Amino acid sequence: MEVLLITGSTIEEGRLAKGGDKFKAEYTKECAACWIATVDFVTLCSPEKVKVTSKNGKHSVVVYAKCTDSVRPGNVFMPKAIWTNVVVDPDTLSTGSPLYKGAPVKIEPTEERVLSAEDIVLKVYVRGQ
Amino acid sequence: MVFKNIVCPACGAACDDIQVELGDGTIETKNACKIGNVKFKEIVSSHRLRQPLINKGGRLIPVPWDEALEKATYILTSAKRPLLFLGSEISCEAHEAGLHIGEYLGAVVDSNTSIYHGPTVMGVQEAGKVGATEGQKKNRCDLIVYWGTNPLESIPRQMSRYEVFPRGYWTKRGRFDRIIITLDPRKTLTTEASDFHVQLTPNSDYELISALLTLLHGKIPHPSVEEITGVPISAMEELLYMMKNCNFGFISIGLGLSSSIGKHRNAEIVMNFVKEINKFTKFALGVIHAHCNVAGFNQVASYMYGYPFGLDFTRGYPRFNPGEFTTVDMLREKDVDAALVVCSDLISNLPADCATYLAEIPLICLDIVPCPTTVISDIVLPGVIDAMECDGTFYRQDDVPVYFEPFTGSPFEFTKSNEDTLRQLFAKIRKTK
Repeated sequence: MEVLLITGSTIEEGRLAKGGDKFKAEYTKECAACWIATVDFVTLCSPEKVKVTSKNGKHSVVVYAKCTDSVRPGNVFMPKAIWTNVVVDPDTLSTGSPLYKGAPVKIEPTEERVLSAEDIVLKVYVRGQ
Repeated sequence: MVFKNIVCPACGAACDDIQVELGDGTIETKNACKIGNVKFKEIVSSHRLRQPLINKGGRLIPVPWDEALEKATYILTSAKRPLLFLGSEISCEAHEAGLHIGEYLGAVVDSNTSIYHGPTVMGVQEAGKVGATEGQKKNRCDLIVYWGTNPLESIPRQMSRYEVFPRGYWTKRGRFDRIIITLDPRKTLTTEASDFHVQLTPNSDYELISALLTLLHGKIPHPSVEEITGVPISAMEELLYMMKNCNFGFISIGLGLSSSIGKHRNAEIVMNFVKEINKFTKFALGVIHAHCNVAGFNQVASYMYGYPFGLDFTRGYPRFNPGEFTTVDMLREKDVDAALVVCSDLISNLPADCATYLAEIPLICLDIVPCPTTVISDIVLPGVIDAMECDGTFYRQDDVPVYFEPFTGSPFEFTKSNEDTLRQLFAKIRKTK
């Protein structure tokens, strides 16, 4: 399913990040999440986890799915953290700042494992898995 | 011991009314928000970085301070074009020290602005900003527009301390004397606390502001704008009516404008809109900064070198070209060969291609706690917490400087502050190169 990705802060994300708890399971649970509109969530057969893939198909990340009425169908929300940045397009449109809000991505149900922040760094960024 | 009127270093609100009770290995705060409270807990936390570390065979090993500084000096002086990323939770004095290092090395120096509100700053350069301080907002504003921001979750006390709930001179009934409008593609805590929520389609901010400008000039916008923005023209007219008929209006803009399609042009047109609506009533605009001293780097860099972020000193003089000399672009194009990251978990905030390259090059990290960036660092220098353990200056998000005094000292014998660390590093660099 093609959707527009909106990223942003949540109060719990801020509390855990500023508290230096980025390696805690609580942080992964809060931030490795994709908030999906109810209609889209049902269309995807109410998955526990989804794989979010960048528009060019180069990068993808597995996160927990969360059903919400806070976004309109066709849009998804992810808290700003290392997981969402895996699929953010590095093109800055000559401004220095990537397209953190409103970037097209694909989401699909998955049974793959959700990686911790440390695993994202070591397995995805360092070893290129 | 109890300390009053402490400045909080957590976000751009820079609240200066925090009360701290520091005991033996304990700390309690009053007036701090959920985010600020945990920031103060860092001072006694068990995971605090307390010694310099060097990466040997994939493991971070404690080393003496001098050895870590020598190694950092070697990395920076050996690089052809290092990147110095000066985070926003350090003082302006530390920013100044870092900029001097960058100029000396012929490096690229950048800060959080580049990644987040850079387009907003570019919008200010294009259009000029009609600004106001938080005090003016508190005393005068009877209409607040939150555009693309969710301050209740990113700057929790912003509404209660400055803009919405406090009683001001001309707004004696506090919240009851103010109208709150939020424009956001999603429902948030802020939209719930607002009187009106305009749920526009993502990436349609420019079109919506253009339509409001058209209406402001007495014309009717093309009907297609309803489909593009998801907002009926009647709702735009109602929105504009409220804005034109307030006594003092204020637009707080967030990353929803600068991080979506349109980027700096979104910021530019909303600033032009504010200028135009001043023909009808008083209106001003400000930026919401979720990190503490973001505005400070812009001020210091502009004062010292004329440019607010993304400064390239490769040719011996400062150059500014967002999209070329900015962190994300430099890393994406592999245009730097070493990096010093100060008090910022940079790798968590970068797109994958940039983060992968940052993991490849020699990296020095100065931080207070372990984070994803320290995992890939070659050298980790322990940081001192500004506003708690050393004095200095922050710029609040309304560009007002706030001087802060510490309530305790640096926990380290080898450095008094992050500014001191950077000055020690600079002294070693000058001896080497």
